[in-house]
Amino acid sequence: EDVGSAVAWVGAVWLALVLALIVLPSALGVSLGISEAYMWVLVKTLEWATIRIEKGVKKPQPQMLKSPAANGIIERDETPMEKEIAHLHRVDFEFSDIFYFCRKGFEAIVEDEVTQRFSSEELVSWNLLTRTNVNFHYISLRLTVVWVIGVIVRYCFLLPLRVTLAAIGITSMIVGTTMVGQLPNSSVKNYLSEVVHLTCSRILVRALSGTIHYHNKENKPQKGGICVANHTSPIDAIILTNDGCYAMVGQVHGGLMGVIQRATVKACPHVWFERSEIKDRHLVTKRLREHVADKSKLPILIFPEGTCINNTSVMMFKKGSFEIGGTIYPVAIKYDPQFGDAFWNSSKYNIVSYLLRLMTSWAIVCNVWYMPPMVRKEGEDAVQFANRVKSAIARQGGLTELPWDGGLKRAKVKDTFREEQQKNYSKMLVRNGSIG
Amino acid sequence: LGAALCPGSSPPSPSPLCFPPTVTSEQIEHLHRRFKQLSRDQLTIRKENFDSIPDLEFNPIRGKIVHAFFDKRNLRQESDGLADEINFEDFLTIMSYFRPIEMNMDEEQLDRFRKEKLKFLFHMYDSDHDGKITLQEYRNVVEELLSGNPHLEKESARSIADGAMMEAASICVGQMGPDQVYEGITFEDFLKMWQGIDIETKMHVRFLNMETIAHCY
Repeated sequence: EDVGSAVAWVGAVWLALVLALIVLPSALGVSLGISEAYMWVLVKTLEWATIRIEKGVKKPQPQMLKSPAANGIIERDETPMEKEIAHLHRVDFEFSDIFYFCRKGFEAIVEDEVTQRFSSEELVSWNLLTRTNVNFHYISLRLTVVWVIGVIVRYCFLLPLRVTLAAIGITSMIVGTTMVGQLPNSSVKNYLSEVVHLTCSRILVRALSGTIHYHNKENKPQKGGICVANHTSPIDAIILTNDGCYAMVGQVHGGLMGVIQRATVKACPHVWFERSEIKDRHLVTKRLREHVADKSKLPILIFPEGTCINNTSVMMFKKGSFEIGGTIYPVAIKYDPQFGDAFWNSSKYNIVSYLLRLMTSWAIVCNVWYMPPMVRKEGEDAVQFANRVKSAIARQGGLTELPWDGGLKRAKVKDTFREEQQKNYSKMLVRNGSIG
Repeated sequence: LGAALCPGSSPPSPSPLCFPPTVTSEQIEHLHRRFKQLSRDQLTIRKENFDSIPDLEFNPIRGKIVHAFFDKRNLRQESDGLADEINFEDFLTIMSYFRPIEMNMDEEQLDRFRKEKLKFLFHMYDSDHDGKITLQEYRNVVEELLSGNPHLEKESARSIADGAMMEAASICVGQMGPDQVYEGITFEDFLKMWQGIDIETKMHVRFLNMETIAHCY
């Protein structure tokens, strides 16, 4: 029983420390500087590791530290179809057209813009995590020792700490919002609900060792507006609620998520849809419109891409969110992959393994830019508006812009899209007088 | 090179017979990674794996291109027929048809290079593997190229094909007697048609030279 009481005593001290050093400051919105110190140590270590890797490389290999091939590995000839084929044309339609399509086909097979967005970004230099060690083989003893220390620190110290914090965060969220939900509707209730949401978000962010830099806070979303952002991971919502209160929009889930949803909706008017309701687009739009029209309600948070993208690009924004009306507040979120990969590859990992990976990374570092509000212009339809907002977000976050639908992660290209392209080609032939 | 490839391992070094030394190991690594992506970490690729490339959907001759990867005439010079699945080595063999010209090639190499590419193209047209492109086969290709446009009728595709075959016949056989029937375009005729036309620069995929990309630390 000596061992038992010793363990209990250690556990109590541990919990007290966590509460005092992390939970309390979160509630008060104060920072004790512990995370900053941790980040500083981390950055220094990774810089040292990078230098060692550079030195340790035996043959002169500048490719080792090449820029990530986000722009592609093959040279694409962007000559429009007309010019190329006209050049090859002799009299009529010839064997020549096949060259163009052959080459385009091969280029697509070697590399396509879309599929690469659904896997994690490759790093320029190894960040001492086992999972990213693809290209970097054994370099030196010192580096390996540091890596082993890193593994111990991450799994034996950081992971339990983070899991504890996450548990505390989620529990206090459920308990806190349920308690606040009992109060009658009043400004006191709103204030308390905001406090609870903010505190729990802060605890959860610390549970991921998150370092978030917010830019242009003067553009923060106002009440009665709609906040749209690019989507990389389920924790995007927490990143944003760490700095302000939003009304979430989403589907009702079962399990723990469902419990959280039911508790929070009592304190704050989040918009949760049943599965059957989601299919009815008019119903969804109507409910959101009602929410937005009420200027006293918190801004809605929507991710128009509809699925997680790997944070190197922004894919098509679904127009539904842009048909609601109201003011759109775009927000760009860019994660720094050096410290931890936030992208959720849902076809590869389920949510639990994803969270485990997150909690055993070094940290989650990201930049959030609040952008000036945008409204739909005269004569602009929802699709054009959506594209305009998408471009703005892509530019701000330094991401590439793609016209593709994030749904391509799972489905094939729509036939209508393909037929458009084939029509273009046939039109060209008719124009050249090859036919008829 | 016959050794089995584990999905997690790095690709085997290429045999000197298949690839000129200017295809760098880095390019092969890139292709290997791409292969793994397409095959979903399996050792071989099947036709269905090409369905996951959105860009390829746009291509009217998509079917022929995918078919070319499994065409045994492209994979091993002597054999014939269709393979069900290909491994990484086969994948590289097909990709090598699209390598760009290198500066240090001599006359003979250039000629062989050109013949290889034209042979690849020839196989694409000659779908029944009999060594000749008949009128019907040519019509098939034209129809595929024009597929998807509801406004074009089969007749138009037919007339294009017929016109092109006539021209091919006049180039290859010269003046035909009234009873002569042009059987089909053989590979020698095919080469004749393309004499003087620079296809090497049209039929290649060039890798970006990684060293010239600026490093930003």
